[in-house]
Amino acid sequence: MIRRHPALLALALAAVAAAVAVAFASRPAAAAPRVHATPSTATIQRGGTLTAAISGEPQGFDPQKTTAYASFQVLENVYDTLVEPGSNLQMQPALATSWTQSKNHLTWTFQLRKGVKFQNGRAFTSADVVFSANRWRGKTSQVAYRLAAVKSVTAKGPYAVVFHLKAPAPNLLSAIGGFKGLAVVPKEIVADNSIGRHPVGTGPFEFVKYAPGDEVVLRRNPYYWRKGQPYLDQVVFKIIPDASVKTTNLTGGQVDWIDSVPSQSLKSLRTAKGVKVASVPGNDYWYFALNEKRKQWQDVRVRQAISYAIDRAQITEAARAGEATPNQAAIPRTSTWYAPISPFHYNPAKAKALLKAAGATNLSLDLLVTSQYPESVAAGQVIAAELANIGVTVKVDSVDFGTWLTREGKGDDDAFLLSWLGNIDPQDFYYAQHHCGGADNFQGFCSKQVDKWLDAGQKTTNQAQRKADYSKAAALIVKDASYIYLYNPDVVQGWRTTVHGYAPRPDSAIRFRSVWVGK
Amino acid sequence: MLLYVLRRIVQAAFVTVGVSIASFALIHLVPGDPVRVSLGTRYDPQTARVLRHAAGLDRPLVQQYLRWAGHALRGDLGVSFETQEPVGSAIVHRLPATLTLAGAALLIALLIALPLGTIAAVRARTAVDYAATAISQVGVSIPDFWIGIMLIFLVAGRWGWLPPSGYVSIGQSFTGWLEHLVLPALSVGLVSAAILSRFVRAAMIEALQQDYTRTARARGLSQRAVVVRHALKNALPPIVTVTGLQLAYLLGGVIVVETIFAWPGLGRLALDAAQTRDYPVLQGAILLFALTFVVVNLVVDVVYALLDPRIQVR
Repeated sequence: MIRRHPALLALALAAVAAAVAVAFASRPAAAAPRVHATPSTATIQRGGTLTAAISGEPQGFDPQKTTAYASFQVLENVYDTLVEPGSNLQMQPALATSWTQSKNHLTWTFQLRKGVKFQNGRAFTSADVVFSANRWRGKTSQVAYRLAAVKSVTAKGPYAVVFHLKAPAPNLLSAIGGFKGLAVVPKEIVADNSIGRHPVGTGPFEFVKYAPGDEVVLRRNPYYWRKGQPYLDQVVFKIIPDASVKTTNLTGGQVDWIDSVPSQSLKSLRTAKGVKVASVPGNDYWYFALNEKRKQWQDVRVRQAISYAIDRAQITEAARAGEATPNQAAIPRTSTWYAPISPFHYNPAKAKALLKAAGATNLSLDLLVTSQYPESVAAGQVIAAELANIGVTVKVDSVDFGTWLTREGKGDDDAFLLSWLGNIDPQDFYYAQHHCGGADNFQGFCSKQVDKWLDAGQKTTNQAQRKADYSKAAALIVKDASYIYLYNPDVVQGWRTTVHGYAPRPDSAIRFRSVWVGK
Repeated sequence: MLLYVLRRIVQAAFVTVGVSIASFALIHLVPGDPVRVSLGTRYDPQTARVLRHAAGLDRPLVQQYLRWAGHALRGDLGVSFETQEPVGSAIVHRLPATLTLAGAALLIALLIALPLGTIAAVRARTAVDYAATAISQVGVSIPDFWIGIMLIFLVAGRWGWLPPSGYVSIGQSFTGWLEHLVLPALSVGLVSAAILSRFVRAAMIEALQQDYTRTARARGLSQRAVVVRHALKNALPPIVTVTGLQLAYLLGGVIVVETIFAWPGLGRLALDAAQTRDYPVLQGAILLFALTFVVVNLVVDVVYALLDPRIQVR
């Protein structure tokens, strides 16, 4: 999971939705700016530097070790995966050009792209994929969990690799390419232990230097396999922790792009000269979960009461100034896996009745939030006020993130509130968090019926059947309030009008390969 | 004098060791450890066990401390858990930014506090004095980060005279270095000036009431000679002491100002290390802060003794 600094504030959702719709309709190059259009070569200007402001500090550059979003903002531009999510999050060819499955779905063969070089000049071959795949599945790798179904990976000549699976894995593509944690890395930088400080990949930009607390510098990769790209000579990531100062840098022209727009700056930024703000519905989701290891939260009626007692629209407004879509489930409306699930509605009377039926009185609730994500504190405070209406006393416990992680892991509180970063496959949205004994099931939920559907969805290769299985599992997860989901936040970013070819992505990945700076 | 200095050095060693033990214990008492933070919400006990063992975190605390101390004595502060960068080099990289900010802030502070405090003292209990005292009172009450934010919004944001944040090393560009230094140095320096001016005023009032001042006046010396050559010189020892303390504090990194101005100093290094529980870096930074405080205090005491021959160091 990637940790990151929260994106903020509302934007012209409608305008962006319209732009996205236009981009999806296959029309020839139009006059109006399209979010996902490839600019005609006549207008692109090559060269120049893009100065991008980010709020977090990278924590190492080893894609298989780091979980920091700030690190991945950089790594997205340095590395490639075998396949990668397109703008609509469908998996597209990258270092792999095509793939086939065996009839029993236990063998996947990937044809690799020819003529690709690493930034150090060395040619990319199947040996690099085999090496990387073993590293992905390594004992201390952060992404090993994604490849649990993989038995082994072997080379088939210099330009093909075979994945041998223990069981069918219909989500293999998003598992091996969902984000840059699955980067293909050259073994020489692992051998000399420089991978954490000086990444080398096949991506559009090569790593130049990192000045801690200050900046990360990337420069154009002359060997990049996408012909013509990147257009920029250099990308400089400036680390600016304070959100308002970051915005001042944008309006003043000291930076060209910022990774999130704080709510209080949104209005002024929209009207500022030379600045453009855009947003896209994201794949992240915010939730809070009741700790079912504690007796008072084990009765499903009590959990349902809590879910009836909260007003998701109000929480969204307070925590994100409305820059989000309230959702009672995890998967956002924009995903192909979306199914409408909304058994609850704001109803304090019903909540009180459920509590009475369960015989729960004078409940008190310690809600664990973290000051590192002020959004969680704001959401927690609104929830506290709303639950007070049904006689539940909430104490909002705001701690630093390290402490939050420790207490969540140990089950030290009645409830914990946070978000999960954008995932693509429904398995990522639900399995680890809600399966009995799931790796991320810190709330202690367990339902044999949910497990049945989750396990089925994990193995079924029929897409329609998978969707049905996961939708059924999700419906029960929501109804039994394993998590009480709140909303899917929008990804809101801002840049100067001299920056072209950039669009915010629902998975919050930052891609600069098609960006150019001009007038 | 030499004996005094030697004795103080030995005391300093004790203090430093004491601080390192206390900080080591406190850091490890806080919930969470670097493994917990780096694994994040994907925490899995098995992987955690392997990582903890590799980092030596599963050994008894005393053994961990002795191992760290042994290496530290040989100049090896370990490597950052996050980036694998040697702690010593991580700290050294941040030193220029911190030294620059501390030095510039202190310079601004002295340039304001000395005249302001002196004028207030010379014109004690007049309107000028009350005005100066009011100004310094306000200065002491305003947080340095508030001044910083105001400066950024007005000077950088609205008027565009200076860049809002960031650091440029003097080697890269002298004008860039100066431009980026002004606002953060002012934010810190103005508050320091307010604090220092009160001490200057008090020390000067004391000096101006002494017999030698009356004697100097009686001898017909000009007001300027009396104030500067005699009173100020005698008021210096306590002023130097307070200035030293201010310097030591500034060298510890002004965390909030560094965060607002995206200034890559030691304060932010320590803050990031605390948040990610990067024990080696945090322990190294605290050790440096302790050493700085102790050394600055020693230098101040020696300077004090040199300035005032009546002080006998024993």
